[in-house]
Amino acid sequence: MFKKILIANRGEIALRVIRACKEMGIKTVAVHSTADANSLHVRFADESVCIGPPKSADSYLNVPSIISAAEITDAEAIHPGYGFLAENSSFAEICNSTGIRFIGPSPESIKQMGDKARARETARKAGVPVLPGSNGVVTEESSAIELARELGFPVIVKAAAGGGGKGMRVVMAESEFANAFVMAQTEALAAFGNADVYLEKYILQPRHIEIQLIADEQGNTVYLGERECSIQRRHQKLIEEAPSVIVDESLRKQMGEMAVAIARSVKYRNAGTIEFLMDEDAKYYFMEMNTRIQVEHPVTEMVTGIDLVKEQIRVAAGLPLSFTQRDIELKGHSIECRINAEDPETFTPSPGTITAFNPPGGLGVRVETAAYTQYVIPPYYDSMIAKLVVHAETRADAIMRMRRALNEFIIEGVKTTISMHKKILDDPDFQKGDISTKFMERYNNPAQ
Amino acid sequence: MNLKEIKELIELMKNTDISELEIERSGVKVRLRKGGDVTFHPSMPRMEYPPVAIVAPAVTEAPAPGSAAGKSEDPAKTNRIMVTSPIVGTFYRSSAPDKPAYVEVGALVKKGQALCIIEAMKLMNEIECENAGKIIQILVESGAPVEYGQPLFVIEPA
Repeated sequence: MFKKILIANRGEIALRVIRACKEMGIKTVAVHSTADANSLHVRFADESVCIGPPKSADSYLNVPSIISAAEITDAEAIHPGYGFLAENSSFAEICNSTGIRFIGPSPESIKQMGDKARARETARKAGVPVLPGSNGVVTEESSAIELARELGFPVIVKAAAGGGGKGMRVVMAESEFANAFVMAQTEALAAFGNADVYLEKYILQPRHIEIQLIADEQGNTVYLGERECSIQRRHQKLIEEAPSVIVDESLRKQMGEMAVAIARSVKYRNAGTIEFLMDEDAKYYFMEMNTRIQVEHPVTEMVTGIDLVKEQIRVAAGLPLSFTQRDIELKGHSIECRINAEDPETFTPSPGTITAFNPPGGLGVRVETAAYTQYVIPPYYDSMIAKLVVHAETRADAIMRMRRALNEFIIEGVKTTISMHKKILDDPDFQKGDISTKFMERYNNPAQ
Repeated sequence: MNLKEIKELIELMKNTDISELEIERSGVKVRLRKGGDVTFHPSMPRMEYPPVAIVAPAVTEAPAPGSAAGKSEDPAKTNRIMVTSPIVGTFYRSSAPDKPAYVEVGALVKKGQALCIIEAMKLMNEIECENAGKIIQILVESGAPVEYGQPLFVIEPA
């Protein structure tokens, strides 16, 4: 096992990894920008190294600084968390070539699953349904429009290197197609330096269902059930839960085995997530794979009782998984609300000083946060300040517990999305589980 | 805004947790801040490697000349410039163990002159002086790890 791990991240996820390390008896090194000198991850790590100025590009994305920090502190492994360098294959490669273990998949797996068109092809070859669409990149407008006609409208044009909703255009009718196609290409070029786009059939009311998996060096690949992340706004997840109301035992097994098949086909190692879109008839289609630990991993931990970050560290150290597929049993229901420092109406970020901070507690409540009273939320990074996770016997109980916990959560000094979450939890459709990725559209333009 | 209103604001602040308040009304800006008791430092940046004596809060720049006029501080001191590490790595005072140090205390240095080496990822990076002047203090031992922004040298500009 590793003696010392460097965490190449900040905020709650850095703290999450530090906690796992402490419980495993592993020393920790925090890295931080000058803006994060007073952060909790810096405080709770055994050592810390300032790696650059506030801007992410010069600090948390500064590969030479981070590698150098690992070298001067004799860290044997780097946990990348999520975001920043977590899905950067060249960073994983540099770690490996300097003799530092990257806690995650191989650079080849990151590359193969990171390119969306290639990932789709990989899934298709593994026998997993993909949304009907172009098999790969479309460059000519004329052939694209022909294909769109074949698929039937609506269709979606997506950037091959995309993410976060950039380079994405939904086309409802043929008359809008030519314009949308060129716009998506231009956006893709601007955002990712690559104008490649592909086409897909578009589902009007899709659910976002994803399968958590983890694999070890010995070739064991296990799926840990699904998470439903349909409550989103502009492709940003707001609420996640496990299990999904729409997924029963046999569908779970089917989707889980599909996810494992994809992972096996690329010799995937460590934790990963296969995201599926599900249509109104519970037909599912491969969307993409995330080759890292995800923000919403705690809901899976709550229903499986497995510490995913510890398992990540174990398998990175070459140890086998501490469980097999047969040991996985889902217990109860878990919900996570992402609390952002944002205006709950306009979603504009609200950085500043937290003047009062009272996280909720009690049975079945878990708060993942790096915030505290007098903490200054810097304007340089993302706006998520806490993940509120609850666990209860049933979904209805979990909703009651989440409403209770949201009411106890006091954050003053900055605007937060707590009130938005209360509204969603009170929504009869949410309570019935009648949700899709379009759910949040009902809250748009509240003005008459 | 008149004096009375400001007084009221101060009273108001006393009874709340607000530590700072800024109000702008018809071109007049008022900023109120509560006394020193509210500053909260849960932790200071630190590195826990044996040889390094951490130099307390990094002052990266001396106040601009002139701004310190009238203050009771030693005027020579306020002119001093702190050279901080631009990268993370290992600090060396010479290019090789058997070579003389780049600079010693008391040395006069020119702008662009190499002061030390910081090794990062097996690359030797020469750190150059941005101002001509005299080396007053060398704050880090050769062979010690340094982090971004860590003070390395104190220079008195020529």
